[in-house]
Amino acid sequence: MYNFNLFFIFPYLDSLQWAIWNTLQISVTATFLSIIFGVLMALVRLSNYKYLRLCGVFYVEVVRNMPMVVLLYLIFFGLPSFGIVLSGYISGLTALTMNSTAFMTEIFRSGFMAVSKGQFEAARAQGMTNTQLYRFIILPQVFRISYASLGNQIIGVIMGSSIMMIATIEEVTAWMFNTGSINFRYFEVFFVGGLVYFVLCQTVNLVRNALGKIIFKTAAAGGPW
Amino acid sequence: MVILIDYSFLLIRGLGITLWISWVALLLAALIGALIGLGRTSKRWSIRFLTGVYAEFFRSIPVLVTLFFVYYGLTLLTGINLSTFVAATIALALEGSAMMSEVVRGGLQSIAKGQREAALSTGMKAWQVELFIVWPQAIRVMIPPAVGVYVSTLKASSLASVIGYVELTKTGLLIRESVRGHSGSLLILVVIATIYVIINFAISRLGAMLEERNNFVN
Repeated sequence: MYNFNLFFIFPYLDSLQWAIWNTLQISVTATFLSIIFGVLMALVRLSNYKYLRLCGVFYVEVVRNMPMVVLLYLIFFGLPSFGIVLSGYISGLTALTMNSTAFMTEIFRSGFMAVSKGQFEAARAQGMTNTQLYRFIILPQVFRISYASLGNQIIGVIMGSSIMMIATIEEVTAWMFNTGSINFRYFEVFFVGGLVYFVLCQTVNLVRNALGKIIFKTAAAGGPW
Repeated sequence: MVILIDYSFLLIRGLGITLWISWVALLLAALIGALIGLGRTSKRWSIRFLTGVYAEFFRSIPVLVTLFFVYYGLTLLTGINLSTFVAATIALALEGSAMMSEVVRGGLQSIAKGQREAALSTGMKAWQVELFIVWPQAIRVMIPPAVGVYVSTLKASSLASVIGYVELTKTGLLIRESVRGHSGSLLILVVIATIYVIINFAISRLGAMLEERNNFVN
């Protein structure tokens, strides 16, 4: 019978701390970048120009239907053939951001589409410039509509960051794998690593729900609690 | 380019394995997910909570972690040497079951209360109501999102390459190793990516079609 003992983890807690930091760093960076690119790509997808719109559709469909591992291999192993050699961190971040951008685009697109046309027309009739229109009228509504799905996608980014171990980034999954192969205490290692992911994702969930109540004064959909 | 044609047989085999493993995992996920989803609509608070924790747990654990856990952890725990196929199938099924439970819960909750009440008032037994009234209607609602779960499972199955299971991604990587230096070494990655995109796109379209047909019927 396996002897479960968390004491075996203690010598590795220092490296775990760095692993969590790396996971957080790449997830937060990818989230911010993909939110920005996602809003822009959503506008591209809803653009008046047919070919621009088609480019948006093409990007979303290709990236969304491709496993992130394959995307990562394309960037990590494929780009050097063109003389572009990216570090592991940058390739990982690029893959994670590209993947998340595709999903963010769809989230924001449905947000933009849910804002009724009258809002645009009314704001224009008031003499608002395009910047004012988006800054004060449209984007706040889009943000509110997309808020719940945004939280899910952030969890998706945290989960996706586990794949970054393939690009030699020392995040939590890589820590689990490396530590396990040193001390062969796989069960404890996975217990701790799994707990880290669970806590990270549920924190996002709880913060999303709490913040949603404060900002919008309504409850957002959440976990079992 | 020419060199890749010699490997096309292997690619087709890899694609077959990918489709097969994700299909087996999806069926298992549907079974577990149906039970968990039923539990999540239960009247008892404790069952709802436990199944909710199960779903949230696997929703917040990356597939790769589950995969490592099953492949290395379960082997240590039980002493049974799991093959990469079994380990990958179990991991994908566990991850899929959490998504499936959401689908099942959504489907069951989409059936109006009046349906149950009307069926009960005609003297049907509780199991008859579930079997003949609720589920036939609920399944129609569940199928389009279940297609989405299949696409995610198919994409996640590419992670099985990390523990050394030779499916489509791993096939591609192995071919890439053996044609190293030739022009095919980049192309093979593009080919693999294209296969995934085409297959997943086709399946998602199918799901969208089913959804539109549902909306038409409704």
